[in-house]
Amino acid sequence: MRRETLENALFRAGYLAILTFMLLPLVVVVVTSFAESGNLAFPPESYSLVHYRSFLEETRWMSAFDNSLLVGVGTTVVATTLGVTAAFGHELDDGRAGQLLAPLVLVPLLIPPIILGISMRVYFVRAGLDASYLSIILAHTLWATPLVYFVMRSVFSRFDWQLLDAARDLGAGPIQSFVYAVLPNVKHGIFVGALLAFIVSLQEFVMALFLSSHGTETIPVVAWQALRQSLDPMVSVVSTFLILISIGAIVIATIATNLDWLSKQLS
Amino acid sequence: MSGTQSSLPAPIARLWEPLRKRSRSKRALLLMAPLLVFELLLFVAPFLILLRISLTGGSSDLRYAEGTWSVDGYVEVFTNGVLLEPIIYSFKLGLAATAITVVVALFYAYAIRRAEGLVKSALLFSVVLPLLTTLVIKTYAFRPLLSPNGTLNDVLLGLNLVSEPIQFAPGTVGVIVGQVYIVLPYAVLAIYSVLSTMDWGLVEAARDLGASRPRSFLEVVVPQAMPGIIVATVISFAWSVGAYAAPGLLGARDQAFAIEVEKRLLSNLQWEIATAYSVVMLVLMLVSVAVLTVALGRFGGEMEYA
Repeated sequence: MRRETLENALFRAGYLAILTFMLLPLVVVVVTSFAESGNLAFPPESYSLVHYRSFLEETRWMSAFDNSLLVGVGTTVVATTLGVTAAFGHELDDGRAGQLLAPLVLVPLLIPPIILGISMRVYFVRAGLDASYLSIILAHTLWATPLVYFVMRSVFSRFDWQLLDAARDLGAGPIQSFVYAVLPNVKHGIFVGALLAFIVSLQEFVMALFLSSHGTETIPVVAWQALRQSLDPMVSVVSTFLILISIGAIVIATIATNLDWLSKQLS
Repeated sequence: MSGTQSSLPAPIARLWEPLRKRSRSKRALLLMAPLLVFELLLFVAPFLILLRISLTGGSSDLRYAEGTWSVDGYVEVFTNGVLLEPIIYSFKLGLAATAITVVVALFYAYAIRRAEGLVKSALLFSVVLPLLTTLVIKTYAFRPLLSPNGTLNDVLLGLNLVSEPIQFAPGTVGVIVGQVYIVLPYAVLAIYSVLSTMDWGLVEAARDLGASRPRSFLEVVVPQAMPGIIVATVISFAWSVGAYAAPGLLGARDQAFAIEVEKRLLSNLQWEIATAYSVVMLVLMLVSVAVLTVALGRFGGEMEYA
């Protein structure tokens, strides 16, 4: 019995340590955003809102925020469309095309983004698309689509396909039967897929670093450049906003689905 | 659709009929076509151009010497120690970060699987929130924690555990901690999604039959979790070998492959070397991912999406 209690205590200590490790950096970011001094220390010596004020006066961050949003929405639309249609097609398909598609979609996720960034930069310069929003959106789509695609494949694999056949038998056309028979049953999946695509785009910065110009740089790109020069408390301010947005997204997603289900879909 | 059949000339009908029967499969192809075209245009084509540039003789720009063929870039990569070292460093980083990540993730995913109610929600939240936070930002947060005058050293000095500050970051320790932090959420979720569908009765049966807790974990839970462990390993390894943010923000010198290749591209403007370097790295990485997958696959389980 004593061994049992000891094991339990160790087990609990173990996961609490990891829990702390997971949340600590985020706590550091939020707390340092309220620091008064410019040098980054944790915990800070004194607190103030000075960096928040300068953040609101800084137009570079504000335009980066707009850029991030624009690129994120663009990526979400393109990746969700491509991912959902392809996963649906893969499910209907009984041939070999789908088996070829899966690895082709998966591999970009494993390739170091710096290599993808280099190859796409070369490519977009030749296509005359360098430094455009479109180039960043397409690059992010390359990373976001596999996630949408695999979420949708697992959703579709649990879908009762007889419903689709029934709709077809009752005279619905391909689009009608998709909208009325399939869509209501998979909308949670599509929502999670789209959310994932948006998050991927919001986070990604290596490809964006290679593909953006001063006018199209996203938040992580500006943050990266600011941090490479010095530790900038302004980055903490931006990050705090982003963390708040993330918490908001989790809350919304939890209401729409539930956390356990969501986290399974995220993997 | 079938009404047109009789009006078709016989030879065409003979060709058309099998196609008509496979209309479902054609529709499937039509649905998959956009993604296929996208992958060919945005992934395969750019990569082929990259490959082509790596085989030219000297180029300082995107306007590489058209029509020339040369393997000088590759020779340079394999003979220049300055270029080989970052590759070795990146692979060491990949192995270290992956080993730590997978062990910690397995434990944490198991803890989430066992937890209930509010504790379970808190543990899941702690995984999902970092996942949603920008990589650059969560990595940089380790600077004030791990630097010589940072929080960890303050604590260690305060407890008299060390006599002078240790430089965790910038340095290799910092890079590994940062990289583990980046990939851990993905690894935890990959393993958790498998564990959550696991039949818990098996663990209880093992315990009833007298297996200790660690033993039931190692002999029942781990084999069941193998598909998730493989996914976690592949993701952690691939992303750590190619890591750019953690070495860039927490590294001491520019040691990692990604940093070196960026330097070659943007400062030195040696495109044929930089592209050859990328190709070599990519091949090494994909081969080692394949070897890892096969090796782990022998312990049971199949990779879900391969």
